[in-house]
Amino acid sequence: MSLASLLPVFALMTSLLAAVIIFTLPERSFRLRTLVNLGAAVIKLVLVGVMIWGIVQGRAYEVAFTMVPGVRFVLRADALSMLFAGLSALLWLLTTIYAVGYLEGSPNRSRFFGFFSLSVASTMGIALAGNLFTFFLFYEMLTLSTYPLVVHRGTPKALRAGRSYIIYTLCGGAVLLLAIAWLHGLVGDLSFRPGGYFAEVEDALRGPLSLIFVLLVAGLGVKAALVPLHGWLPQAMVAPAPVSALLHAVAVVKAGAFGIVRVVLEIYGLDAASDLGLLAGLAGVAAFTIIYGSARALYQVDLKRLLAFSTVSQVSYIILGLCLFGPVGVAGGLVHLVHQGIMKITLFFCAGNYAETLGVHRIDELDGAGERMPATSVAFTLGAFGMIGVPPLAGFTTKWIMGTGALAVGMDWVVVVLVVSSLLNAAYFLPILHRIWFGERQAAWPQERRWGRLETSAWLLWPALITAVLLILAGLLANLPVSPLSWVELIVAREVAL
Amino acid sequence: MTPWLMAGLLFTPLAWAVLTLLVNFNRGRLISWLGILVQVVVSLGLWAAVAGDGGFHYQLGGWPAPLGIELRVDGLAVTFVLLTALVAAACGWHASIYLDPAKAWHRYFWPLFWFLWAGLNGVWLGGDLFNLYVGLELISLSAVGLVALGGESAALRAAIRYLMAALLGSLAYLLGVALIYGQFGSLSIAGVSRLLGEAGTAPGQTLPLLLMLFGLTLKTALFPMHGWLPPAHGIARSPVSALLSALVVKASFYIAARIWLDLGGYLGSYGLAQLIGGLGAIAVIWGSWRALWQAKLKQVVAYSSVAQIGYLFLLFPLTWGVAEPVSLQAQQGITLQIISHALAKAAMFLAAGNLIMSVGSNRVDALAGVSRFLPFSLFSFGLAGVSLMGLPPSGGFAAKWLLLQSSLASGQWWWLPVLLAGGLLSAAYVFRVYRASFMERAGTDRFFHPSRSLEVIPMILALLSLGLGLVAGPVLSVMVLPFGEGGGQ
Amino acid sequence: MFESASFVLFAVTLPFASLLLALRSGLQRAYCYSLPVLPLPALMIALLSDPGWLLSLPGLLHGGLWGMDDLRRAFLLLTAMLWLAAGVFALGYMKGYLKADNLRRFCVFWALTLAGNLGLTIAEDIASFYGFFALMTFAAYGLVVHEGTDEANRAGRVYLVMAVGGEMAILAGLLMAAQLAGSDLLADLPATIAGAEQRGLIMLLLLAGFGVKAGLPLLHFWLPLAHPVAPTPASAVLSGAMIKAGLLGWLVTLPFGEVSLPGWGDLLVIVGAVGSLGGAVLGLRQQQPKTVLAYSSISQMGFITLMVGAALASADVVVTLFAVMALFALHHGLAKGSLFLATAMTLPRSRIGQWLMWLLVALPGLSLAGLPFTSGAVAKLAMKEVLKPDHFAFAAAPYLPALMSAGAVATMLLVWRFLWLQRAVGKIGRNPVAMWVGWGLSLAGSLILFWYLPWHGAVPEKTWPTAITGEAWSLIWPILMATLMAAVAPRSVRQR
Repeated sequence: MSLASLLPVFALMTSLLAAVIIFTLPERSFRLRTLVNLGAAVIKLVLVGVMIWGIVQGRAYEVAFTMVPGVRFVLRADALSMLFAGLSALLWLLTTIYAVGYLEGSPNRSRFFGFFSLSVASTMGIALAGNLFTFFLFYEMLTLSTYPLVVHRGTPKALRAGRSYIIYTLCGGAVLLLAIAWLHGLVGDLSFRPGGYFAEVEDALRGPLSLIFVLLVAGLGVKAALVPLHGWLPQAMVAPAPVSALLHAVAVVKAGAFGIVRVVLEIYGLDAASDLGLLAGLAGVAAFTIIYGSARALYQVDLKRLLAFSTVSQVSYIILGLCLFGPVGVAGGLVHLVHQGIMKITLFFCAGNYAETLGVHRIDELDGAGERMPATSVAFTLGAFGMIGVPPLAGFTTKWIMGTGALAVGMDWVVVVLVVSSLLNAAYFLPILHRIWFGERQAAWPQERRWGRLETSAWLLWPALITAVLLILAGLLANLPVSPLSWVELIVAREVAL
Repeated sequence: MTPWLMAGLLFTPLAWAVLTLLVNFNRGRLISWLGILVQVVVSLGLWAAVAGDGGFHYQLGGWPAPLGIELRVDGLAVTFVLLTALVAAACGWHASIYLDPAKAWHRYFWPLFWFLWAGLNGVWLGGDLFNLYVGLELISLSAVGLVALGGESAALRAAIRYLMAALLGSLAYLLGVALIYGQFGSLSIAGVSRLLGEAGTAPGQTLPLLLMLFGLTLKTALFPMHGWLPPAHGIARSPVSALLSALVVKASFYIAARIWLDLGGYLGSYGLAQLIGGLGAIAVIWGSWRALWQAKLKQVVAYSSVAQIGYLFLLFPLTWGVAEPVSLQAQQGITLQIISHALAKAAMFLAAGNLIMSVGSNRVDALAGVSRFLPFSLFSFGLAGVSLMGLPPSGGFAAKWLLLQSSLASGQWWWLPVLLAGGLLSAAYVFRVYRASFMERAGTDRFFHPSRSLEVIPMILALLSLGLGLVAGPVLSVMVLPFGEGGGQ
Repeated sequence: MFESASFVLFAVTLPFASLLLALRSGLQRAYCYSLPVLPLPALMIALLSDPGWLLSLPGLLHGGLWGMDDLRRAFLLLTAMLWLAAGVFALGYMKGYLKADNLRRFCVFWALTLAGNLGLTIAEDIASFYGFFALMTFAAYGLVVHEGTDEANRAGRVYLVMAVGGEMAILAGLLMAAQLAGSDLLADLPATIAGAEQRGLIMLLLLAGFGVKAGLPLLHFWLPLAHPVAPTPASAVLSGAMIKAGLLGWLVTLPFGEVSLPGWGDLLVIVGAVGSLGGAVLGLRQQQPKTVLAYSSISQMGFITLMVGAALASADVVVTLFAVMALFALHHGLAKGSLFLATAMTLPRSRIGQWLMWLLVALPGLSLAGLPFTSGAVAKLAMKEVLKPDHFAFAAAPYLPALMSAGAVATMLLVWRFLWLQRAVGKIGRNPVAMWVGWGLSLAGSLILFWYLPWHGAVPEKTWPTAITGEAWSLIWPILMATLMAAVAPRSVRQR
């Protein structure tokens, strides 16, 4: 086993080790903790970069051993896993920077950053998992390591949210376990493989396989917040802003969506899944979720709660893209995995900035925020327009590709879904933007803090600005070979167009 | 070399029991540390020997059965021997710091501890029914004594209750053994099994099996005969609770399982297997449910034991009348469950003891705000909880996975919801404790940090239980090792 | 050199780069002074480069392609000139009217709207066209609600709701067309749409989507609300330049010249007639000069809609019609811009000065009505020339001349109404120099420079002075008639 093939393990270990070190650090050693955090994040980013480079060159990285008889533990870096791993490595770095600033001076930071690193390690594991079993392992680990983050504040509200989170996700995990065990009993250990396994399905297996698919999607759908399994997500927004950012943009909801991607593309195979009539149903659920999430967002008064419902809606784009039966639709869905992450993390960073700097949590308190915090507000505006799907931002690229993909296979109703969702997005984001930029400030800010020359702490400001720039670039330069879209096209070329 | 190992294994505990009886707690502690070291080394050596060359039968003192004592030293037995060494060493180490030497009656801890260990080793290695009985009695009596060490009147009450249950169980078992001897003229399990295989079954032979199983399940606290367990485990000192939950109840189950696997095929029936499995399933749900509503931390853990032991009884339906590979899968699953539960539950009790010591109260809601102090023990508690919930990569997960697979493969799908719901319910009670620790409450600034080694011990056990899933393959491969020569007589 | 990649990129990115000036509040004044500079490079491109150049930007969006042909040149000219004049005007206007603390915000939205408006004019691929269009739409909201009054906020809300709806219609239409075409270039769309199975749906989506901007009847509600409440220089560009973006959208996407669609022609002629006459009727009932001007814009866009209908109806006259539409757009944009700017001008003290001032205010209005020797006369005559009924075969064609005459009368009536109202609110005082210069620029553009600008190559060749002299009566009688009506109507109303 060469050193290079161990790269996935190293990538996993960076954050795992960081977690262990941080847990043992005393609360007051701020500098050392920050150093470990950022150092690990940078190293991980470099490792992921090396792997991406290797995969472009056609190399493959895989580590495997047998855990339980008949079941292997597989870590593997392929093009698809790098999409998710790259996203989480990049956003981890930014979120860590943000969190350092956000939690400055607050209690329990060792605990927070320890579990934070653990959840990133789990996310990494989810990205790199080479079969369903390994995926499940990290999927559950993610559940456990994010719980302390959700309840971090320790308020009754946070604890309630944590309880709801844990009930939803553990039940989802149980269903997923059942499905995986059943599938395993039926056909044995399945490594993820482009094109899937069930190109030709025996008639006897059709029934069980369909049922297993439903169970798998139900289990994964809890994290992906598919309606009606989304109930935990809007509650979980009581967590500190960097956690919400991480949960919504990278870790939890994406883990669910990514799992569905793996199942559809690399276990069942696109053709088999649609042949069994499963994708049509999934598309319906995803479409309903998209509309429902947006519609609920319309009635929220709390900014983060609104963003949470927006996540419910946006994540289903990924799933809807998968259901479009064709390479274009799949590309649209996959690229949204990255795009939604960047956009949503920007929005959550900004929401956190408003809360932390001005004490603003409710939408109707935002009047005139643009005057006081122009840079944050610009980032928020970009994120919001990205969500609406205004070109040249990242969200437009997704919508455009998904739209053409849907039309190409004759699913015209998807365009209606896209348009209605964009309208709803506009309907809840634009009034906020109006308040930010054109609202008249009447009263003093609820709880204002000052940071000298900058509008807020530099730790808080820069991550938001960087992600805002990224969300412009991801859309504006979508055709460049380094863009997420190009990487997705590489994946699709390997996955679908076999 | 093997004779030395065997001698060390069986006689060191007895010798140390006598030695420590003569001295006070502090000296007993010093002597016991030496003994623990010897035991661990010997257990490891035996395990390595069996892992390398396969199992064997051993006649104690060179006399063959039925006069002498015949020991069956197979992969499964040495695995449990090693497990016992690990857990007992951890509990002994913990107790040596945890127990207050100033209390006079604590000096009896060490002799009882060593008698218990001797009994356990006897049970794991015992090859015939009567020797097993002797081991079992030794275990029961020393366990009762250990419970009574709590010193309070409640502890004594619980100990008496435990004693009654244990005696009743022993009597039933002994009656069964006597009937078997009367019918077959042999006490060796393997021998009876061979006789049954040659002659076939006759009516009335099921009774001894039923009697033995009743006695053993009573000692294992199978629902609805679990009433004695939570008070006894809850009231005992933490290291004692850990020993009781991790090892003692497993001993009676181990005997029941050996009897079932060798004789159940002839004497058991589908209905019996399903009945026992069903009771186990109810135990899983009922125990978890009760655990969820306990106000005292250690009662939570104790009821959790009732639930976790319930899983073990799924062995009966999943090995009766099913294909060989499926049965093997179930056996492996149950074995993993025993090991991981032993490690996790020991870790949990020890951690709970530390937490109680830290906050000065044994109530769950007294933990409010504790997580702010980042107590190691809380973390160990959580990690052990992961294994109890059956989440990956813990041993509990590997066990659950194998049980799921064998339920599916044997077509007994009705165990699936039990397995899944049990996991969810255990998550519920573990998270209840966690939730309490995250609660922010004013005035919880006092926190006593126990000494480092007290905190490290449960952590090691919890990590072992968590990592077990990752190395389940190698561990299981030792357990299924065949005997080096032919079976016993 | 003006069509070189670097200069085009410079021209497009200059408004974006100017946003850097917004970073420091100390640079606010400098930012204000940079506003007139922003459209200058684009103006140079429009004036000095030959149409036909293309600039390929493969990394941009889904593969960018920018370029300029005759049609786009006319629009670019109009856009750049009007933004320039309004920018200069804004320098003075801001001093007098705008709150100092909001100046920076105004400049930012100004620059962004400008960037969108210029960019969409030269975009030849779908994604960047739609992108610039959306940028203009959303940034213009900032201009509409700038004053922050309840009225402005209400207008802004209506604007935004309709604009977003329009954007979505455009998105859906473009998506369908692009998917069928399998191409990301605008140039491929008309042919694809012409042959598409769902032609009707796609055309309806695009017509409605761009129609929101162009103020089609029933899609126009936002326009009389939003144009007047914006700060005056913003009103000028909204009504003069941005309204034409909707027209350009139609011209580059709909299947002109591919098939003749008489049914669509009829429909659009009816819509255009409703727009031109209905807009005028509604406009006459207004009490605010700027609102009257906004209705006048709706009415004028109605004329253009007539031509769009005609062009859809018959594929063979499309080239000429395009040229005339471009000419008409140029004429109307400059004149309307000048009229809007005039609403903020105060009158000089001396009586002669006042008379002169009124003349200058009225001239672009008369030009709209087609007064001989104004840009309006050229536009009217060219329109008349191509809309001769014998060129067309669709049902509504015979009514075109009558409609045009009625429209001319209506236009002139609106101009009178505007002047009447403007006189009532006209104040005496001094204007900042920049306002004089800005207004003067737009006036000069409308009255003089118009003659020297490079027109669309396919405009019917004529010696215009002669032609105008020849047709003088036909141009003048609607004006006279409207004047007569304007003189009589108030009295008859008063007598009753």
